[in-house]
Amino acid sequence: MDYIYSILTLTGITMIGVMGTYMVTGLTGQFSFGQAAFMAVGGYVSAMLTLRFNLPFPVVVLAGSAAATLTGLLVGMPTIRLRRDYISLVTFGFGEAIISVLNNSAQLTGGAEGLVGIPKRVDLPLVAVSVVCCLFLVACYKNSKFGRQSLALRTDELAARSMGIDVNRMKLVTFLFASAITGYAGVLYAFYSQYLEPGYYNWTVSAEWLIIVFVGGINSLTGAMVSSVILTGLPELLRFASAWRILIYCIIVLLIINYRPNGIFGDWEINRLWKKRKAVQGGRA
Amino acid sequence: MNSCIATPSTRGLLEVSGLCKSFGGVKAVDGFSFDAKPGEIVGIIGPNGAGKTTVFNLVTGVYTPDSGSVRLDGVELSGWRQDVIARAGIGRTFQNIRLFKGLNVLENVMTASDPYAPYNFLSAILSLPAKRAADRQATGQAREYLDLVGLGGMEEARPESLPYGLQRKLELARALAIRPKVILLDEPAAGLNPSEVREFIDLVRRLHERFNFTIVFIEHRMEVVMNLSHKLFVLSFGKLLASGEPEVVRRNPAVIEAYIGDEE
Repeated sequence: MDYIYSILTLTGITMIGVMGTYMVTGLTGQFSFGQAAFMAVGGYVSAMLTLRFNLPFPVVVLAGSAAATLTGLLVGMPTIRLRRDYISLVTFGFGEAIISVLNNSAQLTGGAEGLVGIPKRVDLPLVAVSVVCCLFLVACYKNSKFGRQSLALRTDELAARSMGIDVNRMKLVTFLFASAITGYAGVLYAFYSQYLEPGYYNWTVSAEWLIIVFVGGINSLTGAMVSSVILTGLPELLRFASAWRILIYCIIVLLIINYRPNGIFGDWEINRLWKKRKAVQGGRA
Repeated sequence: MNSCIATPSTRGLLEVSGLCKSFGGVKAVDGFSFDAKPGEIVGIIGPNGAGKTTVFNLVTGVYTPDSGSVRLDGVELSGWRQDVIARAGIGRTFQNIRLFKGLNVLENVMTASDPYAPYNFLSAILSLPAKRAADRQATGQAREYLDLVGLGGMEEARPESLPYGLQRKLELARALAIRPKVILLDEPAAGLNPSEVREFIDLVRRLHERFNFTIVFIEHRMEVVMNLSHKLFVLSFGKLLASGEPEVVRRNPAVIEAYIGDEE
């Protein structure tokens, strides 16, 4: 039971992390290869504040997210002007740099041995509530002027500018919101696992989140969420075939990318179900 | 740069004078001037590669002019950012249709009002009443523009799934929705069949009567040029070749030569 409980909790935390990647990649079309580093910033800042100053949990949650947002601002300001392919390089470099800093400032962070002794403040119910709340915020964002402008500039920056959209500002706002959400995922992870090590946040995690977003449907938040559940749960389900599980995982991902290049859900969102029903009712009335 | 001396033009809503732009060693636009008075429909014609689209890109800020000026209502726009120029009141459509594929038909038009939408980040992520009211209003306006161009009832469709002619209309509706003072249409009738072209001419007339905005368009189809424009400017190798009333310009020997070569 404990095992399932922990899988569910970690899946929930991954879902929140994937929401950040979804915003950067799905909404504005940037490739963030360093998204997990924002999780590291959120996690380490909140954990260190607790260990050193014994601040109350709600305060360190805010501080962790705020630190991630601030880091997002530092990375985002100079990079947002760059072309898409360069952004992935810069975020990749930034992610690895963060890990390097965490490894080398051992007196503060515990270095490669990790940061221990973090109190347990997060359990499954809190993660579940967090997933629902974050999902609400991100879905509202997508459905607002911010989401529309981001999606517009993703397909065509030139046309977006000709509509009066401030493309750079829009990219930055979305990037910052994504940093905040990912930072929050980092806080949850820190206070759930009670132990942090820099290696957990390297680029493979960011790449995994990108894969999740692509498999789910690049334009679909619903898809990103469903595929986070499937792709984080799948390796666990395949544990019986431990030698083969990475291979099976890869084959499934390849099949989906091959036969559904727009991902499982494409740009379908779950709210279309009741939107359509409403339209039908409206038509009858 | 002798050729780039600005010539004074009569007071218009959009005044472009002495526009120059080189790409490497090629002078794409070389001292071109044109103007459009309020409510006027102005055509820009010229052989392929004459620099017509470059002129539009210079006016809308996609490129910065090497020299020359672009004035809207007396305000100098050259050197401004593209999105600022759009918000100042210049809307445009593109030669190769550029719709937002990630958004449906209605949302494509709504992006026009989004830069002005009166709600902040917090009301957006919490979907507060202010946000919902503003979005409802924006939806209503966008629907009106769709109805105007004859796309009512297709709000939920994907733009890429529309037939070509309707995609052109959607792009027009989207450009109208930013409520421009001047709207630039880059070959709006390209790729339309003859009956669609006639329908398009009627549509532009109807919209013009209703909003009385200034239209500047690039077009090759003589039917469109002769039917719509009050005034024509002919561009050849980046330079102004002739300008004036359509019928006069059409008979200008220099224009005929530029298009079909010397008669001899």
